[in-house]
Amino acid sequence: MLKDAEKRTVTEDGRLMLEKAEKDRIETVWDRYAAQTPQCGYCEMGLSCRICNMGPCRIDPFGEGPRQGVCGADADIIVARNLGRMVAAGAAAHSDHGRDLVEVLAAVAEGKAPGYGIADPDKLKRVAAEYGIETEGKPPHAVAGALADAMMGDFGSRRKELSMVRRAPAKRRELWRKTGIMPRGIDRETSEMMHRTHMGVDNGWQSLLLHALRNALSDGWGGSMIATEVSDILFGTPKPSANTVNVGVLKADQVNIIVHGHNPVVSEMLLQACQSPDIIDLAKAKGAAGINLAGLCCTGNELLMRHGIPMAGNHLMTELVIATGAVDMMLVDYQCIMPSLGKTASCYHTLMISTSDKARFPGMTHREFHPENARDLARDLVKEAVENFGRRGRVYIPVEPVPSLGGFSVEAILGALGGTPDPLLDAVKDGRIRGAAGVVGCNNPKIKHDYGHITLTRQLIENDILVLDTGCAAIANAKAGFKVAEAAEYAGPGLKAVCSALGIPPVLHMGSCVDNVRILLLASALADSLGCDISDLPVAGSAPEWYSEKAVSIGAYFVASGVYTVLGPMPPITGSMNVVKLLTEGLNDVVGAGFAVEPDPEKAGILIRRHIESKRKQLGLDARSV
Amino acid sequence: MKQVVVHPERCVGCMQCMLACATAHSKTLHLFTAVREDPLPKPRIHVGAGIHGEGFPNRCRHCDPAPCMLACLPGAISRIPETNTVVIDPDTCINCASCAMACPFGVIRYHGDAAAPPGKAVAVKCDNCTARQKKGMVPACVEVCKSGALTFEEPASALGRKTREVARSVSRDAGGEPIAPGFALLNAVKRSQIEMEKR
Repeated sequence: MLKDAEKRTVTEDGRLMLEKAEKDRIETVWDRYAAQTPQCGYCEMGLSCRICNMGPCRIDPFGEGPRQGVCGADADIIVARNLGRMVAAGAAAHSDHGRDLVEVLAAVAEGKAPGYGIADPDKLKRVAAEYGIETEGKPPHAVAGALADAMMGDFGSRRKELSMVRRAPAKRRELWRKTGIMPRGIDRETSEMMHRTHMGVDNGWQSLLLHALRNALSDGWGGSMIATEVSDILFGTPKPSANTVNVGVLKADQVNIIVHGHNPVVSEMLLQACQSPDIIDLAKAKGAAGINLAGLCCTGNELLMRHGIPMAGNHLMTELVIATGAVDMMLVDYQCIMPSLGKTASCYHTLMISTSDKARFPGMTHREFHPENARDLARDLVKEAVENFGRRGRVYIPVEPVPSLGGFSVEAILGALGGTPDPLLDAVKDGRIRGAAGVVGCNNPKIKHDYGHITLTRQLIENDILVLDTGCAAIANAKAGFKVAEAAEYAGPGLKAVCSALGIPPVLHMGSCVDNVRILLLASALADSLGCDISDLPVAGSAPEWYSEKAVSIGAYFVASGVYTVLGPMPPITGSMNVVKLLTEGLNDVVGAGFAVEPDPEKAGILIRRHIESKRKQLGLDARSV
Repeated sequence: MKQVVVHPERCVGCMQCMLACATAHSKTLHLFTAVREDPLPKPRIHVGAGIHGEGFPNRCRHCDPAPCMLACLPGAISRIPETNTVVIDPDTCINCASCAMACPFGVIRYHGDAAAPPGKAVAVKCDNCTARQKKGMVPACVEVCKSGALTFEEPASALGRKTREVARSVSRDAGGEPIAPGFALLNAVKRSQIEMEKR
């Protein structure tokens, strides 16, 4: 047995697949992480600067070597600039994803996107109305065209405020205006961050960090929110539906196709192709029992939320899923796709296909999807996957899949509550539910795979805190069995009673990582019902195993929206204790929330419980001592 | 006489010393050209990761008596008394690995080198940058270390400084202030991450 497998993951399928990978001599993300240690302390502390060509510069954290870069920037400035650029990159990634969906919406309106349509015309009307678009008597396609146009306007806005910030509580918007962090345009804030961090522009570490919050808000209340809303309009607003998770969702006797990445534009077409009878017949003619489309990461979450598609794993599982030898084709779009995957696949028969005009990977075949060609290309590719089924070698699928329930959009949650958040509020007020926490974010080999997500989630639900999850965290919790109605057994007595009455699990799958905005919207709905601000609510956020720049942006928009957020891995900021202090303490005075860092999920759970009980106390509700 | 002194508590693990060392022992002495040389120059100082992922620059101690020198049958290893440096003559070296076996610190490697006859693998280790010192320069690893983990000084002055640090730490209340609070915070987080693996 591989001696490190149990140190690397808490999941059974992960451990068994790591042992298989070791036998097959497949290098994994953990091996490459080990090879990188010790990691450069300047970079870990945010003290190295590669922004201009007078550098690279680094600051001696011990104060004896250089204390300024060539330009004169000190540790505070360098750390703040680096963090600002992380937020800009994360916001750009989410927002560019949103833009791609708006382009599909525009193409649908023009009738240039065969196969795509408007799956939720009611939501189209509601969102269009928010944008001030006349919808009465207009055909959906005309409304879609006007909405796509208006949303594109948000990206390059000339206005003072983004359109969707109107969904935030009035008090919160007033705070953003007063503090000067109201997001104005999606592209504008990212562009301004790149400008401010150019040599010789913004050298106020405080003003840089404030702009980082504004940049993040342009993601949360702009790019990501557009991505989620337009995905719902095009592909349907998620409703609770059953699915299965872990490597066991692969089928030895079926053609297995995996979609990986973040954007549902490609995967939705692929799903249609996988369901077409002529291609299923072709698969049967080739000796397969059928076609099995499964997901990885957030492209998988998008399909899981809307169609109950099975989920093979999260970020750290992507190489291991290929190592089953059972994947006939993997299609990737963008974000979080390790460039190692092509090399991993070369040891098996798996066909690797990249699909986005902006993402290339070594060892993959590039087959570009556009709204015009997507339907036909998806059919071609599924046929190629079917042909590839016959080239399979030995297959290793070591576990049985775990059942789970997904699809909890805000609409679905309010629907389950009878149309208003009042039953949830009542349960919070009378103390059956202490509060709610978002457990979100990626995996990182610095934290034992899924240990952070599962340990934190278990502690929260045991203490009657409802958990809302997205992204890789959501897959971890589903694999742990927290997402079936029976999982109410794991919850404390109050939450258990509420979940049992409603027939819902204590952990609600709210979608992909852009779908974190659903958590923002739910928090806003609760705050509006109580007539308070988000920062007054007994809620918290956490990213126990985060790795990506997108997670930095998400954390920052949670905090800027008033949600106390606990990070697992330390961001590269310890080079400036001023920056650390501002983010962990100072922001409370500015936006009514702040960050904490705690890699140990047991301790993170205590921090969150303590925060939730203190908010209950402030609201005049009963509060426990933690 | 001045020596390279290692202060492991200040190593941030950036591995700049390794790059600089390899470059200083290349034919062309410039990083951009050194990476295209054959044989590819290799460092004689190696940064390892401790149990908490912290960096440690491991280099030749130039021991006296030196186990490697005692183990060398062909007599390829000798000491330069002026700089107290143990050096290996690549022409005499027979690549028998006895010195590496005798070395308690694992700082002797075998590979082709700019100073060795072409095509011959030889025992290679730190030479205290003797060539640079002759030109009045400090050893390359020391020159690039920005965190003070490697210094070139009289060992007595380094030890004196250490004594004063220790003295101050015991005169303070328990624990004392870390020399760089951010670095201590980062290391605390990393330690916590590693501890979790054991659960």
